[in-house]
Amino acid sequence: MEPKPKFKAVGQPLRRKEDERLITGRGQFTDDFSLPGQVYAVMVRSPHPHATILGIDPAPALEMPGVLGVFTGDDLAADNWGQLPHNPVPSTKYDVKLTGRGGTPVYIGEHYLLPRDRVRHVGEAVAMVVAETRQQAQTAAEMVMVDYDPLPWVADTQAAAEPDAPRLWDALPDNVLVDSIFGDIENTDAAFAKAKHVVDMHYHLGRVTGVPLEPRASLGHYDPQTDRYTLYAGSGGAVRQKHEHAAVMGVNPDQVRVISFDVGGNFGTRNRAFVEFGLVMYGSKKLGRPVKFRADRSEAFLTDYQGRDLVVDISLAIDENGKFLALRSKNLSNVGSRCVSLSPLSKGSGLITGSYDIPYATLHSRAVYSNTMSTQAYRSSGRPEVCFAIERLIDKAARQLGYDRVDLRRRNLVSPEQMPYTNAVGSEYDSGEYEKNMDRLLELGDFVGAPARKAEAIKRGKLYGIGFSNYVESSIGSPKERADLIIRPNGVEVIIGTQPAGQGHETSFAQVTADLLGVTFDQVTITLGDTDVVTAGGGTHSGRSMRHASAVISLAVTDMIAKGRAIAAEALNVDGGQVEYEDGVFRTNATNRTIDWFELSRLAASLSPDHAGGLKVRRDNEMHTPVFPNGSAMCEIEIDPETGSLEIMRYTTVDDVGRCINPMIVHGQTHGGIAQGVGQALWEACVIDPETGQPLAAAFTEYGMPRFDNMPSFLCEIAEVLSPTNPLGVKAGGEGGTTPAPAVMISALEDALLEYGPPDVAMPFTPLKIWSEIQKGKAIAATKQQGAA
Amino acid sequence: MALISMTVNGVQVSQEVDDSTLLIEFLREKLKLTGTHMGCDTTQCGCCVVHIDGVSAKSCTVLVGQAAGRSVTTIEGLAKGGELHPLQKAFREHHALQCGFCTPGQIMAGAELIATYPGELNEHVVREEMEGNLCRCTGYHNIVRAILAAGAEIRGTKITDPTLASHSVEG
Repeated sequence: MEPKPKFKAVGQPLRRKEDERLITGRGQFTDDFSLPGQVYAVMVRSPHPHATILGIDPAPALEMPGVLGVFTGDDLAADNWGQLPHNPVPSTKYDVKLTGRGGTPVYIGEHYLLPRDRVRHVGEAVAMVVAETRQQAQTAAEMVMVDYDPLPWVADTQAAAEPDAPRLWDALPDNVLVDSIFGDIENTDAAFAKAKHVVDMHYHLGRVTGVPLEPRASLGHYDPQTDRYTLYAGSGGAVRQKHEHAAVMGVNPDQVRVISFDVGGNFGTRNRAFVEFGLVMYGSKKLGRPVKFRADRSEAFLTDYQGRDLVVDISLAIDENGKFLALRSKNLSNVGSRCVSLSPLSKGSGLITGSYDIPYATLHSRAVYSNTMSTQAYRSSGRPEVCFAIERLIDKAARQLGYDRVDLRRRNLVSPEQMPYTNAVGSEYDSGEYEKNMDRLLELGDFVGAPARKAEAIKRGKLYGIGFSNYVESSIGSPKERADLIIRPNGVEVIIGTQPAGQGHETSFAQVTADLLGVTFDQVTITLGDTDVVTAGGGTHSGRSMRHASAVISLAVTDMIAKGRAIAAEALNVDGGQVEYEDGVFRTNATNRTIDWFELSRLAASLSPDHAGGLKVRRDNEMHTPVFPNGSAMCEIEIDPETGSLEIMRYTTVDDVGRCINPMIVHGQTHGGIAQGVGQALWEACVIDPETGQPLAAAFTEYGMPRFDNMPSFLCEIAEVLSPTNPLGVKAGGEGGTTPAPAVMISALEDALLEYGPPDVAMPFTPLKIWSEIQKGKAIAATKQQGAA
Repeated sequence: MALISMTVNGVQVSQEVDDSTLLIEFLREKLKLTGTHMGCDTTQCGCCVVHIDGVSAKSCTVLVGQAAGRSVTTIEGLAKGGELHPLQKAFREHHALQCGFCTPGQIMAGAELIATYPGELNEHVVREEMEGNLCRCTGYHNIVRAILAAGAEIRGTKITDPTLASHSVEG
């Protein structure tokens, strides 16, 4: 065992290595790359939610100026291009095991780059036009004649699960692709039978989309000399993209190079392969020119992978002392038209009991196909949905049974003594001090002072609401990661297979590496995103990167120290056992000589040509055990009853992220996470017109966003309860802001509108909906008064 | 086609371009100044903000001809004499960027706000004035602080609210 590293860089708010290029306009985003002779691709997209493709006539488009080619699913099939291998069923040891009905395999419909049989959602690409300029391609795309025969369609989640709903896939008897039951039915039923109280709730947490500000883009180049494809495409993990596109093309993965340097936001939307990534490579192969694609904003709204969309029916059995006895939940997830990921359903399924000690639970998890864009993990995949369900249900229980909402939670929180705690559906919470988080939050947010602020606001004619939520979430993700650690005389390089989109890996990974090696932060560089350099790695999702990176870098450093000791012994001409190592320096009692890593690298090169390129260690690690970040959040809002407009006055959080490598970065993650959760509660929705099936939110004028002038400043504090599951005790810091945010916002709204009765509308709570609830409440009150008179 | 001349980042440029070319296309594709980003192509997100004669403009909906004969500054030209603009430094210092895609537009819009806003800059003013720039990563918290910090530096004023002046990033 090596001596424990001295943390100098870890835990410090070091400014980011990424920033210099990004604040001077020298970032390397996908669309910033151009290749000589490149031409432009534009997609022809379906205007129908569901239709049979009777035929596609490219002839008129081919006659347009500048047009080089029009490609359809038939062309791809003729060239034996295959399907995207999304592998949607989460499959680490700790993921819940989702199946089809009766334990059958989950039915995964086909996903070719372009469909030949039917279109299944508005915006689905049916053909690609390539022309000399983007404008020419756009104009020509309108001349591609597609003969559609419209079919009955279904977009709504619950309607799609009805037995007589229009079917998306002939091989499935209905649209239900997952139908699994978890938990202890017998004991749950017994607990409900003896419970003094049962409270229940039905809620649809609707569809939103990630809205990374960089529209997805791709640039493909096929080189016939080397028979290799190069794809410039920002994603959530270049290595995964390389393998998936190689599978589509039926080529060896070594024939594909994927480059993903700066990525302008991801939030889950970019984790799975997009059809346009493969299509630009196809176009390049056919035309002998590099082909570029960039989605416009409407295409991004329609066809970026979307998020959430879960219908929950939940009920809670409670005894006479306010102790929770058992929980039942039915969760129905809308996967859209093609199943690219079941992560949202799966991640949520393991967390239905939230932060609370509920002995028994049963869960009926289902997923349905619908004529909508596919869903994927979106920031804090699956967790805000189930956090919302349990936390809102507890607020409801407190109100109905006359408990203080904090007190009712306190009676039921999982205690530190119970850790590691296995919840009623089998998830093992690694560590955490849930009650302490809650108490610290109430102190930090001045919960006791809130009623006075409320009274003051009411005096000004406002409605005032105080919202509260605890949360626990899980970070699992792809279990494998690789690090190449290279020490050269002039610095340390770590090559790793995660893929940041703003999370600052170049900085936080360098902090960890510097401290573990006993070198300075400035001496370390992190290399990411080019599959000709990064040979393996799991990408970035599910809050996995800091934990997996710190674990694999720790192991690589241990290997490097062993290697360094042997080389130092040779250099110092002593026995290996006589070499001591501490904090970046090798020494021996036999001489006064000390050698640091950089001198060792120089010496090694002179000892053996094997070390000419530096001291190198390649380390692979596989780590399945999940971690459970947790915390508490509260907010205070003011509503103008005349207009329904809402202002967030305060927003406070306490987040246990395990060891915090860089508090500046973690706070930034929390801020952005809050905004995305609040956005869903108040403004964001991928609305589909119920009459026509047309998406109605395809621009920033139609999709409400968190903005400078509708967001508050935040007060965030980090709690560090180290996780016992990995070398540095890391949990995750990327998603805790989002997880409780919809619950905490709606909790505040309910509190503000209490005098008008509990609001009964779907998110987002726009000013119009708030105003309507107020009018409805007033009308009911007036009727009652009349009745009384 | 038309011959278009303008000053970009202090350098005179002339190119023969199609009349329908947008300013952002001219900057990114003809001049290879890729720091100005296309985020929404409809003047709604602010990723493409540049200065035309010192005034912020969303270059995705400006025809290149409209900028002819004028002086355009992009993010690449904001630093002077190798010294970063105070707002560029403040963005780094206050962690006002994550993915960095909206950042050039934020910095250009913020720099003009600091230079031209007639009254006192405070949190409310910054939030109202910057409303045309979207960010999906930061929740705006640290961008507000960066603009106030650079504003105080450039204008020689003090930030009185301690929650805005402190490095909340270290919380």
